Amino acid sequence: MDLALLTSTYATVFLAELGDKTQLAIVTISGTSPRPLAVFLGSSLALVLASLLGAAAGGSLSTVIPTNGLQLAASLGFLIIGIRLIVRSGPIKGSGEPTDL
Amino acid sequence: MSDVPDPKAPSKPEPSSGPETGSPPGQAGEPAAANKAGSWGAALLTTFTTVFLAELGDKTQLAALLLAAQSGRPAIVFVGASLALISSSLVGVLLGRWLAKVLPPQQLERLAGLLMVGLGLWLGRQAVLNLAPLPDGLPLG
Repeated sequence: MDLALLTSTYATVFLAELGDKTQLAIVTISGTSPRPLAVFLGSSLALVLASLLGAAAGGSLSTVIPTNGLQLAASLGFLIIGIRLIVRSGPIKGSGEPTDL
Repeated sequence: MSDVPDPKAPSKPEPSSGPETGSPPGQAGEPAAANKAGSWGAALLTTFTTVFLAELGDKTQLAALLLAAQSGRPAIVFVGASLALISSSLVGVLLGRWLAKVLPPQQLERLAGLLMVGLGLWLGRQAVLNLAPLPDGLPLG
């Protein structure tokens, strides 16, 4: 019974996560960063912590944490990272070292 | 003019800067070893912040919440969800490394940047719509 619950949770979450925006972001960061291990650790920590918060807070998470505001902040982060990548890939050369992500 | 040293040429290892403490000499693939620790932490922090903020209140959590509510055993649900999330981030990292091998770096950075901007716009639109819902009947989305 416990194994069945574990397996069903694993399958549900894994399938829900495939092709998600978070995984696309991980692909993007991993493809453009020379530190795949750091990217893997950071994303795993973030995902586990977010799911810990979700499991611990129960249904009241959205009343405790302003999730929409946080997602707005995340979208700004996406925009900043994306614009930096586009600028870095552009034809501008000799303007100093490329910034690390 | 020709005796100006080419800055792009691979410089010889300087004798004044000794080998990094504790790092094996086999890691010769990275020319910029000076800011290795700093950019490692920066990559970790950037990934953590981005993924954590984007993931809060996402559908993964909704699924975890549903399973936890149905089963009444949140610990098992948490372990299963964590394993799945770690697996999915491993898939993402491996996919990114594979893309970095098959695509030229400049093209990959441009594509990745466009993808990130698109994701940011989409995520921001969703957050704004949730914060201030539009009245029904508007032909949006």
